[in-house]
Amino acid sequence: MKLGDQEISPTKIICIGTNYMDHIEETKLDVPKEPVLFPKTLNCLISNKEPIIYPKFLYNQRKYNRVDYEVELAFIIKDKCKYIPKNEAYNHILGYTVFNDITARKMQAKDILSKLPWFRSKSFDTFGPIGPKIVNTEEIKNPHNLRIELKLNGEIKQSSNTKHLLFKVPELLEYISTFFTLEPGDIVATGTPSGIGPIQPGDIIEATIEKIGTLTNKVVMEGE
Amino acid sequence: MNIKIGNKIIDPTKIICLGRNYIDHAKEMKVQVPKNPVFFVKTVNTLVTNGNPIIYPKILYNNQEYNQVDHEVELAFVVSQTCKNIQAEYAYNYIEGYTVFLDITARKMQISDRNVNLPWYRSKNFDSFGPIGPRIAPYSEIEDPHNLNIQLKINGELRQQSNTKHMLFKIPKILAYLSKFITLVSGDIVATGTPSGVASIQPGDIIEASIDQIGAIIHKVILEE
Repeated sequence: MKLGDQEISPTKIICIGTNYMDHIEETKLDVPKEPVLFPKTLNCLISNKEPIIYPKFLYNQRKYNRVDYEVELAFIIKDKCKYIPKNEAYNHILGYTVFNDITARKMQAKDILSKLPWFRSKSFDTFGPIGPKIVNTEEIKNPHNLRIELKLNGEIKQSSNTKHLLFKVPELLEYISTFFTLEPGDIVATGTPSGIGPIQPGDIIEATIEKIGTLTNKVVMEGE
Repeated sequence: MNIKIGNKIIDPTKIICLGRNYIDHAKEMKVQVPKNPVFFVKTVNTLVTNGNPIIYPKILYNNQEYNQVDHEVELAFVVSQTCKNIQAEYAYNYIEGYTVFLDITARKMQISDRNVNLPWYRSKNFDSFGPIGPRIAPYSEIEDPHNLNIQLKINGELRQQSNTKHMLFKIPKILAYLSKFITLVSGDIVATGTPSGVASIQPGDIIEASIDQIGAIIHKVILEE
């Protein structure tokens, strides 16, 4: 997959749930003691300017007809790694990009209530826009002081700063790599700030992170 | 990520597993029998081929809260070509073949995560928690994948024994339902769930998992150093 002028070949996407203090306060969730991890499968990846397909299957069912945006800072793994101490984390990161963790919210809420896995609500095709490019770790020395925002049809819906991340990038890589071997190109999305909300066919979503750029995707109805 | 299973090389992009697909297993886990297939993901870092060790992670072994790791033998199928929105009647056109899969699970961690409404991800995805093989029996060799004896032995002692005819959702329905959500591509692996008899494994154990007409995979459990 091509991100800007770099090609990556991810084997997995690992996302962090509830990782912004403003989002945790907004949702009145407990502050997690450890990072909350879930996967997205590779079929969800699309790049800048490609459409997000709103599945008919969700649109036509009242119990499932809500799909949300979630802007996130993502980092890309540079080399095969396991058990990385946090003080060495940046040696294993290729760079940073913008990720939009599109989520079938009603389906997720229903699955969570039934104590089922989060898989299906998170991994529809096109539910993982990423880009517009990878900015390397030399250009962004501190990933924890970047403005992050999302506009829906020009209107600001999410606006925060990566300094509000509860678990920072080095801690995340240390934690994740105690469980899994990471491979070059693997994607870790660090969680979303407050202000999440629904999208509709026809919407234009612009997700921006300072020093990286803007990821723009239009929402289209499946089959149209 | 390329992996050689028997004499075939496949390049899976994802492993999709079914939960609660044998009624006897749903009962032993004291969970409801589902109305629709329950899917979860294993990532490709879990895959190990026949004969390679299953690594028991130290962070589980040394933590009383988490020191239970279970075996689950499953029939898996491998996808032959890109597919989306497949109708059940055409499902077999998209299947390369069948293999044996072990869904190794950090059970106490899974239950503790599930109890607080967290995802099942980490408990299922330690490195080496997805033994697979010994070969991919071609689709054409197995006339009916829903009439195969399936069993698992630990140190020679029988622990799981059932038949794939007891699967709640059969393969065509599984592929039809799954492909409504996601595009599957050549090499993707779908594991169809485990029968009852799941139990824990310990470092030193030899696990032998077999399915009629496919073969057996043998793995030793070793403690991570």
